[in-house]
Amino acid sequence: MLETIDLTKYFNGTVALDRVTLRVEPGEIYCLLGANGAGKTTLINVFLNFLEPTAGEARINGLDVTRHALETKKFVAYIPEQVMLYGVLSGLENLGYFAALATGECLPRARLVELLATAGLDGGAADKRVSAYSKGMRQKVGIAIAMAKGARALLLDEPTAGLDPKAANEFSQLLRKAKDNGVAILTTTHDLFHAKQTGTRIGIMKQGRLVANLKGDEFSHTDLEQLYIQHMTDGMKP
Amino acid sequence: MAILLILTSMAVGWQRQREASAEQQAAQELDYRDWLNQDIRHPHDAAHQGMHVFKPAPTLSIVDPGISRYAGTTVWLQAHRQSDLKFRPAQDATGLQRFGDFSAAWVLQILVPLLVIVFGFNAFAGEREQGTLRQTLSLGVPAWRLLWGKALALGAIIGTLLIPAVIAAGFAVVLGAETGGRADAMIRLAWAAAGYAVYFGIIIYLVLGVSALTPSSRVSLIALIAFWIGTAVLAPRAASDLARRLHPTPAKKDFLAKMETDLSAEAERIWQEKFGVKAKWSPDLPLNKWGIALRVDDQLGYAVYRRHYDALWDTYERQQRVQEWAGLVVPLLALRSFSMGLAGTDFAHHRHFTEAAEEHRHLIQDLMSEDLVKHADTLDHQHFAYQAGKDLWKTVPQFQYRLPAAGWALRRNWPGLAVLTAGLILSFAFSAAAVSRLRVVQG
Repeated sequence: MLETIDLTKYFNGTVALDRVTLRVEPGEIYCLLGANGAGKTTLINVFLNFLEPTAGEARINGLDVTRHALETKKFVAYIPEQVMLYGVLSGLENLGYFAALATGECLPRARLVELLATAGLDGGAADKRVSAYSKGMRQKVGIAIAMAKGARALLLDEPTAGLDPKAANEFSQLLRKAKDNGVAILTTTHDLFHAKQTGTRIGIMKQGRLVANLKGDEFSHTDLEQLYIQHMTDGMKP
Repeated sequence: MAILLILTSMAVGWQRQREASAEQQAAQELDYRDWLNQDIRHPHDAAHQGMHVFKPAPTLSIVDPGISRYAGTTVWLQAHRQSDLKFRPAQDATGLQRFGDFSAAWVLQILVPLLVIVFGFNAFAGEREQGTLRQTLSLGVPAWRLLWGKALALGAIIGTLLIPAVIAAGFAVVLGAETGGRADAMIRLAWAAAGYAVYFGIIIYLVLGVSALTPSSRVSLIALIAFWIGTAVLAPRAASDLARRLHPTPAKKDFLAKMETDLSAEAERIWQEKFGVKAKWSPDLPLNKWGIALRVDDQLGYAVYRRHYDALWDTYERQQRVQEWAGLVVPLLALRSFSMGLAGTDFAHHRHFTEAAEEHRHLIQDLMSEDLVKHADTLDHQHFAYQAGKDLWKTVPQFQYRLPAAGWALRRNWPGLAVLTAGLILSFAFSAAAVSRLRVVQG
């Protein structure tokens, strides 16, 4: 569903992505770990065709993202670290606007309310202005937009950053529900605990290279932590 | 604020126009009555009295006064010379006139683009900064859809602001025009509105294009304000300077002096030819040829005046054309002349009146000299004893002037509309190109 083949990206001589090859199948949650600046966000930007790859390919549902820019976006929903919405509109209105843009039709209010509820947004908050929302609440609106779109793949950039453990847990549950529905999910994160909890597969990126590609159930939490730190300190080859 | 300005200026203009129109009509009546009530006298004396005629103000001059504040409104149709139009409203300006300077046309041409800039400068740049652009683009919305949506939004804002003004203009037209002219004024208003709509379209797409192209909304605003200052303040001056350089017109003194010289030269030649005398009205001229001489002298005068004034006015019109072509680069210029042309307040309309007045002058003079040829020349030495009365005065009709029809104005001004349309296509292409290159992330 989500695939990169030898994806490479140079920025003014620095390597942001170095021959990254990975696959996310439907029903998988792939957690990409790595330090800041390792290239995680760049990878997502390439999937969304916000950046052009220097070499290699990124594909969504088998289609090259640079050649089929608009079509590929229809399969995928993107939730950035900071979900940006229009502050003067309410959560419901924002959802209504973006959902209409995404699907091409105006969803009825009842459906919008249902989506927000499934995403976990407090009922009373739906009609308040987004400028009053917390990060978690905005994220829930982002999730609702993704659900409204009915996307078969999700791209999440540091979704649990800044969330308290309860909110993070709720979020993980939502992800698992999506996974069970056959959605392919790629998340980037620092959160080792969350990665182990939800990830079917785990990747570790360092300076643009994918240095580890593991299955989630092959090791424990502590193993993962050790592995991560090892990679980060001495650049162990997989 | 803008609507208030438009409505106020139109109201002031309407008031002024009604007063002026009433004054004009009264004056015209009185003058004609004076002509009819002349004592029994030698027809040539009557010719010297002549008539005064008044230029009516077109209905739409309250929307776009054009040159009407600087062109005269009355002309004296007298013997032997073609006079200038006198009484420019600008000379008579009262304090209220200051307000009238902010004509509706000025607000629409200069202020509305500023409004579009204020509402639209951060249409794309601001969304990029805010982060919502990323969200929108990740949904797979094609760029042209975004552009179209934002253009519609800006158009709707302008439209809503201007609806009261358009309705007011419509009312003014219906109430202000005489019954015959109502349909004509409506057609003119409709075409003028079309021109303005195209102009606003150009501005909207330009603003959106710049917003999409610039890296930040601050740069976008600076660029657009600079553009606005350039077009609103600098371009008109530059264009009229250019026009005057390409097609220079002589100073008034020189123009008149040259005309006088030509006149004398022509007169000498013809008088020598026809009557064998060295100077005009020399005592060698037999009295029984006086009437004919008058007619000959008038005719040669007509030709000389026509030649010189035509040359001068053609040059004005050529200057106008230069400005219109400059409209390809600065749409404001094309709109200005289109707007004036359709409102009936441009130079072409003024020339139309001036030529009609001159025709009427020819009529008066010719009728008088005909009469002399028929009745006074036959009296030989008693030529100056001949006197005519009301029967002769009555043969001269009152000056009836019809303002040119909308079709006439359109035929002359369609190039302006064509230039504006070309501008719209260019502007749209520019913004489409800018939006298709829209980048959320640098690199």
